Amino acid sequence: MRGWLPLAGIGLLATLAGVSLLLAGRHAAPPAMESGPVDATPAAIQAARFTDATGAAQTLGQFSGKVVVVNFWATWCTPCREEMPGFVKLQEKWRDRGVQFVGLAQDDPAKVAAFGRELGVNYPLWLGGAEVMDLSRRLGNRLGVLPHTVLLDAQGRVVDSRIGLFAESLLDSRLAAITGK
Amino acid sequence: MQASRRAPAMKPARLFLAATCLAGACVAAAPSSDDPLEPDRAFRPSARLVAGDATTGPGRHGIDIEYLIAPGYYLYRNRLKFALSPSTVLVGTPELPPGIEVDDPFLGKSAIFRDRVTIHLPFATSVAKPGRYKVRITAQGCAEDRLCYSPFPQEVAVDIPPGYRMADSPGPSR
Repeated sequence: MRGWLPLAGIGLLATLAGVSLLLAGRHAAPPAMESGPVDATPAAIQAARFTDATGAAQTLGQFSGKVVVVNFWATWCTPCREEMPGFVKLQEKWRDRGVQFVGLAQDDPAKVAAFGRELGVNYPLWLGGAEVMDLSRRLGNRLGVLPHTVLLDAQGRVVDSRIGLFAESLLDSRLAAITGK
Repeated sequence: MQASRRAPAMKPARLFLAATCLAGACVAAAPSSDDPLEPDRAFRPSARLVAGDATTGPGRHGIDIEYLIAPGYYLYRNRLKFALSPSTVLVGTPELPPGIEVDDPFLGKSAIFRDRVTIHLPFATSVAKPGRYKVRITAQGCAEDRLCYSPFPQEVAVDIPPGYRMADSPGPSR
């Protein structure tokens, strides 16, 4: 009978740990969540066409060989705007280590340009129509929510895809792991 | 020779151990309430035919769209769009309550809806052919401080019964 007491203690501790994890998760700011399965090849991702602030066509393929952080966002999406100053800092930090940030929005070009200027965004903010959210969904954003951030490796393969706020520290550590720098 | 051996009965102590371990694992693995809701669960619309009477007031005919909005979520007032199908019944400009004013540091003032809101789509025609009509809605909203839903389509249906006629309208010509 005595033998089961330590084991029962372990069980109770497991319960308490589970409850603690649950409560901790509910009180902290919700972190970015991994999104669903990806349904797009690297070639398709790199070939998707968008337009820049001047109206010129752009594709992600031009960044082949770099780690690319693709951020789906919108000016009307407050959480999107809140995480962008962190992206600006990380773009500065990782620019010379082969990391390129790109913002993709289905939005009013004038508002995107104004916000880019106001915040001093140091990476391209591209625009598109329905193809923006179409690509986002194919990259795992089943709910069609913003922000959605996708990390592509140097070959254009998806190595991370998250919805919600991507904490600067977490993204920093993910970039370190992906680039090995 | 015994063909099969009966499994020994689990001792109460082991049963307790298994239950507590399972409880711990289950609690930790349970889906968090922080997971974002599907748009149709966060923003639940329903439609109701409104005919002028003592409660709604004379001449108030149309469709009421009621939204039930989950706690912690909100809809953008000025981004709601409605279209009736088939378009044999015309609806006028949607009548939206003022909502809750918010002042966005970048976008300026706008309004949002929380909890529950009813939007009235007034009929802009004198007669309505009986049948089922679909209201196609495009909505946009957010989960507070977390994420936003890009414009998403929703659809609700409303039945117009035979003989339905706008009380204050001239009605069908004879």
